[in-house]
Amino acid sequence: MTLTQRTAGRRTVTAGVALAVGLTAALAACNGPRRIHENPVMINGDRVGSSDATVQAVAASTAAERETAAARRDSLRAAAVANCAPAVCAALARGELALSMTTAQVMAATGSTERAWSVRDAGGTTVMVARTLEAPPRDATGEVAMVQLGGGRVTSYSYREPQGLRVVSAPSDTTLEGRSRAIAAALIREGDAFDAAGDRVKALDRYDRALVLQPNDPMLQYRVATLLDLQLRPVEAQLRYRRFLQELELQRIEAVGDANAKLAEAIARAQQRILILERQAR
Amino acid sequence: MSRTHPPVPLLRPFVSVLHPHRTRRVAVGVIRAAALVVLAVATGACNNKRVARIEPTSVTDLSGRWNDADSRLVANELIEQSLTAPWAKRFADTHGGEAPTVIVGGFGNRTMEHIPVNTFVKDLERAFVNSGAVRVVASADERQVVRAEREDQQAHATTDSRARLAREQGAAYMLQGEVQAIEDAEGREKVVYYQVDAALVDLESNAKVWVGQHKIKKYIDRRRIGW
Repeated sequence: MTLTQRTAGRRTVTAGVALAVGLTAALAACNGPRRIHENPVMINGDRVGSSDATVQAVAASTAAERETAAARRDSLRAAAVANCAPAVCAALARGELALSMTTAQVMAATGSTERAWSVRDAGGTTVMVARTLEAPPRDATGEVAMVQLGGGRVTSYSYREPQGLRVVSAPSDTTLEGRSRAIAAALIREGDAFDAAGDRVKALDRYDRALVLQPNDPMLQYRVATLLDLQLRPVEAQLRYRRFLQELELQRIEAVGDANAKLAEAIARAQQRILILERQAR
Repeated sequence: MSRTHPPVPLLRPFVSVLHPHRTRRVAVGVIRAAALVVLAVATGACNNKRVARIEPTSVTDLSGRWNDADSRLVANELIEQSLTAPWAKRFADTHGGEAPTVIVGGFGNRTMEHIPVNTFVKDLERAFVNSGAVRVVASADERQVVRAEREDQQAHATTDSRARLAREQGAAYMLQGEVQAIEDAEGREKVVYYQVDAALVDLESNAKVWVGQHKIKKYIDRRRIGW
């Protein structure tokens, strides 16, 4: 083999190798060393579906359910106002619960139907509680926790309030004063718990809030004064101690006044009776 | 004696070895060729724009970043999940058939990308309203404009046509959510994972009455040669 032939052979081999390397590189670049072998779930050209069908289906079912609920709510309302006592009728108009309401009236006052309540009967007593705590029924006053009925009439009901449950079992509880009294009592309980736990700042905060609702409570003033005294706030403590004494004095005066009034009434009544008895004796 | 022209300065390195007679011809040829290339490029630049209306529901992934298809997928999934969940029905049952009222709160983008979250939030809002199962009230930003208009009406509109004050509907639930992303890349390959979370929070109790979620995973392979 001549030198020219060997050179030509080498060139051919070199060219072949170069071609093979180039081809491999091109193939490698095209296909890539993929480490992830997952089938695509969506590629270019696919279509993203629409949610309109879902919306329409929900709209249809919602409309039907709303119609049913409205019909039931209206029939309950009609039954509720058919034979209501004046106080109950007024409460229904305000959208508030009231004592001696019937089950239908409770539902009318809360704008709910049977679906909102879980009703249990036990020995002449009926208890109505919210079916779900996620969206409990509520009247104009607040969220209703439980309604108790005896003989088909409401005997007590309770609201879920920030300070806990507030029970209404007497007509006086339904008034603004009654509500304030109940909330103030809950705040005082909370304050006492903080005071016992050594958190005087939070205890004072609860007592202050209770004072807004019960401004003439002398013992509450005394608790605030004591806490301020312990917190080394002498000027405010002094004011509160004075207020406490003043409230006590006012209460004493009021008590004496009441006692004197009662005494005067008793004296007048006794004198009247003496006269009557004397006449009868003649 | 023939006159020789000095070569064009720019072409001097290339033509210094040529014969002076050929230098001029080469220079002229090069200039003509350059002019032709510039002309071709300019013509191409003028004609390279193509605009076409395409179906908005089509998937068109170009860069691999968040796009309209992702937004629609998320919207569809959240609509499906929220409207078929029992929270709205439960509320209606306990409120004599009344639909719950929702306000759109914050929807955060916690990714490094720019993601316009309002595209799918508005889709969700639209589905709520159109289904009739949920009432939606104006969000904090939207209501400022409405309130300003209402205030303005009190001074300038007739008594019988002016909108009354303090008649706004309070929301029972707030829609909140966020978009998060995790990226993983090696060489020319990249995987991006998006997670969209949405929740309806009871405004009184902070209880979450519904939580929706949608996940998207994208595999992006940047090929050097492709056809």
